[in-house]
Amino acid sequence: MRIVKLPKERFSELFEALKSWGEVHAPVKVGRFYSFKRVESLGEFTLSYTRTMIPPKKYFVKPFEDILKVHVEKGYEPIVEESKRIVLLGVHACDINALRILDGVYMDEIPDHYYASRRSNSMIVGVSCEPDEYCFCKSVGADYAWTGFDLFLHDIGDSYLIRVGGSKGESIVAELTGVVEEPTSIDYVKLRDYELKRSRMFRRSLNASYLPEVVDSLYGSELWAKYSDKCLGCGSCNLVCPTCRCYDVTESLDLNMVEGVRSRRWDSCFLRSHALVAGGLNFRPTRLDRFKHRYNCKSSIDQRTGMLFCVGCGRCTVFCPAGIDHLEVLNSIWGLR
Amino acid sequence: MAGKVRVGFYSLTGCAGDLLSILNIEDRLLEIFEKVELVEFVMASSNVKPGGVDIAFVEGSVTTEKDLKALKEIRAKCDRLVALGDCAVWGGVQASLTGLDPRELMKSVYGTEQNLYGFLGEHKPLSEVVKVDLELPGCPIEQEEFIKAFVSLLRGDLPEVKDYPVCIECKIREVPCLVVEKGEACLGPITVGGCKARCPYHGVPCIGCRGPIKDEANVAGELLMLMEKGWKPLDAINRMKLFAARYKDLAKLVGRG
Repeated sequence: MRIVKLPKERFSELFEALKSWGEVHAPVKVGRFYSFKRVESLGEFTLSYTRTMIPPKKYFVKPFEDILKVHVEKGYEPIVEESKRIVLLGVHACDINALRILDGVYMDEIPDHYYASRRSNSMIVGVSCEPDEYCFCKSVGADYAWTGFDLFLHDIGDSYLIRVGGSKGESIVAELTGVVEEPTSIDYVKLRDYELKRSRMFRRSLNASYLPEVVDSLYGSELWAKYSDKCLGCGSCNLVCPTCRCYDVTESLDLNMVEGVRSRRWDSCFLRSHALVAGGLNFRPTRLDRFKHRYNCKSSIDQRTGMLFCVGCGRCTVFCPAGIDHLEVLNSIWGLR
Repeated sequence: MAGKVRVGFYSLTGCAGDLLSILNIEDRLLEIFEKVELVEFVMASSNVKPGGVDIAFVEGSVTTEKDLKALKEIRAKCDRLVALGDCAVWGGVQASLTGLDPRELMKSVYGTEQNLYGFLGEHKPLSEVVKVDLELPGCPIEQEEFIKAFVSLLRGDLPEVKDYPVCIECKIREVPCLVVEKGEACLGPITVGGCKARCPYHGVPCIGCRGPIKDEANVAGELLMLMEKGWKPLDAINRMKLFAARYKDLAKLVGRG
């Protein structure tokens, strides 16, 4: 891993190099928030943004997709899409850490080949960010990406210091010979100053130590119901969560009664069918059960990365129509204020 | 025609929009009907055959004595009964009047308190009267959902019963949330999906035309949410009543049931 310096006035040269590698997708303002979308020119996107509603996982596990062709006599055949290279430009550290968690889930012993092929055809370009009133990534250790990116752009004012995270990143930097520079010690002082300033900007925190045990231990608390009564069970928190990874699979035949498709769709543990099993048993029959389940899941540890399953991006709070605050719930259950 | 599945389409009280939606699947209509023996579909053909049916598709609410009698007869002669559309599933928009004095209603519309057409006094969904095997919600139904259900039923199966709200489809299509971003009175969180969030996609808040998610929709939570966004309780309840008046939790909120 190494670090280079890119003066901001030469950012367009980096952008062109990324575009020559693949389709560039970056945060575009949609409504009050942002969405990763394909961009062709610098004016279409911003690297200074709060959060997208839908996290980058949408590029690797699609919200809805047909995965198998079905034939009642011939059986199943995978639907293979044309592979294309995608650069995600402007990914925050929390979202990069979330992708590391998803990588472990989807590319473990039995890789999901839809996910794996898209992931290997992607380049992740991180960008440093400043927290808003909903961010708490720092308290869960997801405010910094040690790995999981190809390039990471750190804003130090008039330049970016770029950490180069692998061969794909190196190939881009190689194209920028004469554009990027060796950083000086003054640049590193600026980097440190930026980090200190950013660190002081966090207004919200979660007591992450002991959290898995405490939340599990307080499963029987009566306080959960106060929030699950308000919860609409709509599943928005799951779909906007960068680490929620459940999907549902359905299969249907066309009118010819012979051919059909098997599809998958992002699922939510707030839906009735999520814990409904053969024979009609539902092991999480009520919204209270599902509510507690979600908080337990988000407050548990991913054994592969050693990280909490919550990266502190704040999306579930921002996009909850009922206005349920993830931190308020956990603090209240714990008895903290 | 021996061996083909016998199918009937029936209409109770409603605008007949669900059966019309089926006839509007024009490019695939022959493909649909060549697979079955059509026993009755008055909107499509005056040729009504006698005898029982394997699958009965019924639209409309149980509003009159005539509806009640017809539905019981259909149930008695069919193997599987499918409720088509919001009227059959929830009683329809007309059920939003549940609780009002039927004589007053009769007077305001017809100028007489006399029960002119055997009105039962309320508009019931089929499931409050007979056993229903499958419900396809919507006002009107979604054509794609009907086709999938039709194929499943012909195979002796049942289709996926949607248990997810419109919010899920908004997120899948990345539609900015009308509640979060604009404080609009969107009923997406309590309304069963399947419409691909058609209205929110066009910036229009959901009015709940596919009905509440059965046994799941948190109408008290929705009411609280709308009140927090500045909506008057009565306005919020009336909005929900339009398509969900007979949902038990909403009935409780408005003091019935």
